Amino acid sequence: MSQKPRNSRIMQAAQARNADKAPKPSRSTGLGRVIIAVYGILALAATVRGAYQIVSKFDEAPVAYTLSLISGLIYIVATFSLSSSKSRAWLVSLWAVSIELVGVIVVGILSLTHPEDFAHPSVWSGFGEGYGYIPLVLPLVGLWWLYRNRSERHA
Amino acid sequence: MFAMNGFFIAGAVICALALLVAVVATIIRKHPDDWALIGAAATELFLIVYGVGAGIRQAAGNAVQGDPLEFWGYLITALIMPPLAFFWAVSEKSRWSNAVLAASAAVTFIMLFRMEQIWH
Repeated sequence: MSQKPRNSRIMQAAQARNADKAPKPSRSTGLGRVIIAVYGILALAATVRGAYQIVSKFDEAPVAYTLSLISGLIYIVATFSLSSSKSRAWLVSLWAVSIELVGVIVVGILSLTHPEDFAHPSVWSGFGEGYGYIPLVLPLVGLWWLYRNRSERHA
Repeated sequence: MFAMNGFFIAGAVICALALLVAVVATIIRKHPDDWALIGAAATELFLIVYGVGAGIRQAAGNAVQGDPLEFWGYLITALIMPPLAFFWAVSEKSRWSNAVLAASAAVTFIMLFRMEQIWH
């Protein structure tokens, strides 16, 4: 038996709004919430840091600091697409997480071979050593999590 | 390195307690635990006090050793995080809500550590 809404328009509006929403994708529930939270933390950390580096000392390492900001923006995309119930969000997540994995490996190698350009602190330099190697591990966790929830690819 | 001071010790204790409670709650609860949520609120409250204290210190002439912009950037970022973790945690009934709060507490401590490094 469904509860009849009382005479509150706000209540009715809230219920109507919830009814419109697609159900939450299972990748954003349970353990997925922790993964998304860590993505959110990295997104915040990398974006703010990249913005700060570009504002205050862009000349020192333009390439590294630009990448720093870009990595932050990709983490933002991943955070939202992983938690989104929109139909294309799974695929967007796959792209974002894959780019992160490639980014952390490529920049990690470049910070060893071209330290003058890349050995500046950013999320991806040194394979994410400044962030406890979480930037290296997280995309692998993300890919595994997307694979586990692959049924949502066309959901 | 920086000298141990009251702010750092207080912050470290609050973050450690919040982390401990949240980790225990992750193990024993299947819903966001009240005490874990209070822990997140406590870290946020500490950050506010710390920010006010830092503002007074700076206004009184005790300048930041590192870049002030970096210090305040860290503080603002740190202030944003616990509320987000709080609302992310209460928006679903799951044991993992507590793990989110644990991550928030751990990161708050790391950021406090960095802020102290920048300051001293």
